[in-house]
This record gives sequence, structure tokens and C-alpha cells, in this order.
Amino acid sequence: MDIFGQLFLNSLQISAAYILFSLGLTLIFGVMKVVNFAHGEFFGLVLLLIAIIVPWLNSPALPLALTYAAAGAVSILATMACGWFLYHFAFKKFQRDMVGSFVLSVGLSLLMQGLFLEFFGGVPVKLPDLIEGNLHILGGAITTQRLVLTLIALCVAVVMCWLIAATKLGKALRAVSEDHEAAMLQGIPYRRIALYGFLIATFLAAIAGALLAPVTVISANVGSDFLIKGFIAIVIGGLGSIPGSIIGSILIAVIESVGGYYFDPSLATLGMFVITMLVLLVRPKGIMGNG
Amino acid sequence: MVSAKTSVVSVLALSLIALIASLFAGTGFAASLVIWVAINILLAASFRFVQLIGELNFALAGFVGLGAYISGICTAKLGLPFAIALMGAAVAATLLSLIVGFITLRTKGPYFMLISFAFTEVLRMIYTQIEYIGGNSGMIGIFPPALFTDYYPTLVVAIVLVLVLVLYKLEQSDLGKVLVAIRNNDALVQTVGINVHLTKVLCLAISSFVAGIGGALLAHANNVISPGDFSFLLAVYTLAYIKVGGESHIAGPILGAAVLTLLAQVAMGFGPYEHIFYGSAIVIAVLLMPDGLVGIIRKSLGLAPRAQVAARH
Repeated sequence: MDIFGQLFLNSLQISAAYILFSLGLTLIFGVMKVVNFAHGEFFGLVLLLIAIIVPWLNSPALPLALTYAAAGAVSILATMACGWFLYHFAFKKFQRDMVGSFVLSVGLSLLMQGLFLEFFGGVPVKLPDLIEGNLHILGGAITTQRLVLTLIALCVAVVMCWLIAATKLGKALRAVSEDHEAAMLQGIPYRRIALYGFLIATFLAAIAGALLAPVTVISANVGSDFLIKGFIAIVIGGLGSIPGSIIGSILIAVIESVGGYYFDPSLATLGMFVITMLVLLVRPKGIMGNG
Repeated sequence: MVSAKTSVVSVLALSLIALIASLFAGTGFAASLVIWVAINILLAASFRFVQLIGELNFALAGFVGLGAYISGICTAKLGLPFAIALMGAAVAATLLSLIVGFITLRTKGPYFMLISFAFTEVLRMIYTQIEYIGGNSGMIGIFPPALFTDYYPTLVVAIVLVLVLVLYKLEQSDLGKVLVAIRNNDALVQTVGINVHLTKVLCLAISSFVAGIGGALLAHANNVISPGDFSFLLAVYTLAYIKVGGESHIAGPILGAAVLTLLAQVAMGFGPYEHIFYGSAIVIAVLLMPDGLVGIIRKSLGLAPRAQVAARH
């Protein structure tokens, strides 16, 4: 087996999930200047809901793919409703207040994790495989379902980048994150755009969760591991920068798969931290951060 | 306003009461409770000290852990006296904070927050990899000095009182004024010839010195430490104390730590609701009482609200 092909495939899988996750984090930061510690909880909520719905729906009469699709759709909608609720009753009051909103999201994250543990229990769940079989490409092996899910995730990421780069909403989002007062002077409705930004970010976390459902061992605190990596990715890339978050995610994914293969996973995490420190020494606001 | 003299007298009186009360705590559950409240007050005061420059220092948990492990190695592995363990813990935490602070305090706001958070998690992971200190399962047999076996709570309360008082005095000193000025406008401080970066590093080092001692006291109170005790959650709980108590005055973290630590014991009586308890405490405090218990007390006494500690970027 070709090691480089295998490592490339591994990095690709991991980075697809991280990109979706950190795109959401950086979007919320850009638009609302909120570092959302509870972002991982949206991701976790989708996974846990799917873990409840899929076994409940699963029957021989219904194809597994349809079960997953239905469960995914319901869970994503429920999570976005949860995001909408939190935006209106909590985050809206703390826009552009970095410390206050961070403290709030830390509290929310802790509270949600406690509730998850209470309602879903502490036993990890593994759902049935969506698609069986393995593929051999580029000299490496990958399960068919992982490849399909990775490709879908990359497609979502590309569509999202197109949306931000080319559409009117995307332009408004970028204008607001660059200078929200100037954007308001141009007639961009800041409040509505902030809500859209928050919901899009929630959707990205939710869809990342839904896509990982068939391949992840699901437990109540599944979000926190992703959260730390996502934070490191956007700090390296530069808070609020879309290309930065993608570069950061890819870097983190490569370190994780290569470091995890040659050394061990905890050394890879240590390596990420050292690299983050080095990047911050040279560029205190991340690779793509300005100012 | 309360005059300076009455407040000094009342602080001394309260300290004396706390010390005398701790003498009767013995060695049972009451003793543990006294120690936990005291150490949590110390950690909250340490966390708040870095808030003076407007930063949230989640590396606190990392420095507490370092202090705990260093002091544990000193007494349990090397058989050194407790005093040396205490100093060793403080010095180790200070030295590491000087290095880490020098690099990370070039950043500020969310960057510093996230890096300090990552620092804590990385340190915790390193502990799990070292066999000498017990790896994942942790270290056992860290006992307080024989001389103080019965009066360990009093020793802890005394050390905490001294350190909190020192932090308070520092806050009132010229250094404290510079720190608050950095929070309000660091460029302005730079223009009058003060080295902002080194002052920030000094602030973190002082806070970490205290955190290291807190860790040493904690390790000798619990007798057992494991990497899981020093995850970022420790810093998040500390943040909850400050938010509930109020951050505008040093009484806030003291009040918050005492109230929440005792309430948490009640909540623990119903089941494993630690996450929900602290999570909702933070959310309620942030949403409903922005200046914490201290703010509510000041309002009911008819005093003017003081400026918020955490800068709004």
C-alpha cells in the first residue's frame, strides 16, 4: 500500500469535516464578533438526534439511505431552530462584545453538554454503515461511504464559498465583517445579516454532524474535540477570514493524519499547538488576518 | 462611602473569623469544604487579576495543574518538605508563564483567549503521557505536612488570605493602575513610555505564581491528582465564580466562589449535575445580573455602579 496516497486520503477526510466546522466558527466571528464556544454543541446535537431517530425509524421496509436522509433533515432543522432560539434570547444582546459573548457561549456549552448527558446517557453509540464496501484509489484504501460523505462535505464547502464570494447575501456578509458601520451606511440591514450569518454557521455545523453520523462513534461530548481543533484552525488562519479557516483546517488535518501515523495522536495535537505558537509569533493575527 | 478605616477593620475582622472558624473544621467533610472554598477564592482572584488587563486567561487551569504536579513530585516522590514544594510549585508556574506569556501576550482578545485555552489542554495531555507522574491514572499519596495534619484547613485559609490581600494591594498600587490603563487603551499607555508587553507578561506571571500555589494546596488537600482535574473546565468554573460574584471589585470573586462552591455541593446531592449547574450559573449571571452579586448589593445599598472590569472590545 502506498503510504502517501493513504495519508492523502486520510487528510482529505479529516479536513472536509474541519473545513465545514471552522467555516461556521469564522463566519460567526466575522459577522458578529462572537467567538462561539457552543458551536460544537450544535454539531453534537445533530449527531445525538440522528442517533435517536435512525434506530427508531429503521425497518426493513425503508431503505437505510432514506432513513438517514429523513433523520438528517429533521435533526438539521431542529438544530437550526435551536440556533435561532439561542440567537434571539442570548447572542443578539452580546454582538460585538467579544468577552461577554464568549463567557455566555462557554456557559451555554456547559449547560447543553450537561443536558445532552442527562437525556442521551453516557453510552457511546455507533450507527449502522450507510454504504458497504471499500475502494482503492491513489494507492490507498478508503471505505466507499467515507469517500461519498467526504465528497458531499467538500461540495457543501465549495457551494458555501461560492455563496460568500458571489451572491448578494455573501457580499453583505463580507461587508459586515469588514466594517459593520460602513455596511449599515450602505443600507445593509446589519441585524438581519447577523442572524443569517449565525444561522448559516449553525447549518454548517449541523450538516457536518449529519455527514459524520454514519462513521462516528456518537457520545454526549463528541463536539468538544472538534471545537478545540476548529479553534486552532481559525486562530492559525486568522479569525473572521474564510480562506484562512480553510487553510487552517487543511493544515490541522494534515498534521493530525501524518503526525498520527508516524508518532501518536497526542503528539500530533502537541505539534498543532507548537505550530500555532510559531504562526502567532510571526503573525499575531493568523496567516490571513489583517491588521 | 464606607471610610477606608472601617473597611480595613472589617476586612481584618472577617479574616480573623475565617481563620478561627477554620480551626474548628477538623478533618472531615467540613474541612474539605473550607479548603475547597478557600482554594476556589484564590483561583478566582488569580483569574480576575489577568482580567485587569482585559484578557480571559484560561491557561489558569494549566498553571494550577503544573503547581499541583510539581508540589506532588516534591513531597510524594522526592520527600522534600512542604514549604519547598509550595515554593517549587509557585516558581515553576511563574517561569512557565513568563515563557508562554512572552509569546502569547503579543496577541490579545479572542486570540489570547483561544491560545490560553489550547495551552491548558496541551499541558493536560502531556501529563497523561508521562509515566513518572502516573500518566492517565494520576498521582497518589500527596499528604499535607504531619505538623499540620489537623490544621490543614487553617493553613490553607491563612495562605489564601495573605495572597488575596497581596493581589488586592497590587491592584490598588501604581502597577494596578497601569494594568487597568492597558485594558482601557494600551496604545496610550505605550505613548507615555511604559512597556505594555512586559507589563502584561508581569501581570500573567503574578497571577500564575498565585495559581501555582493554589495548585499545590489543592494537590495536598485532595491527596490524589490526575490530568482530568486540570482540564479547561477548572478555568470555566472559576469564570463562573467571577461572573456570579461580579468582577468590578475583588469581593466579587470571593463571594461568587463561596456561594457557588457551597451551592454546587447541594446540587451534587441530587445527582451528577455539575455541568448543568455551572453552565446555568454562568448563563443566568451573564444574562440577568451583568455586575454579579456585588452589583446587586451595591445597588441595594444605593451606591453607584463601578466600571466593568472586562473591556468591551
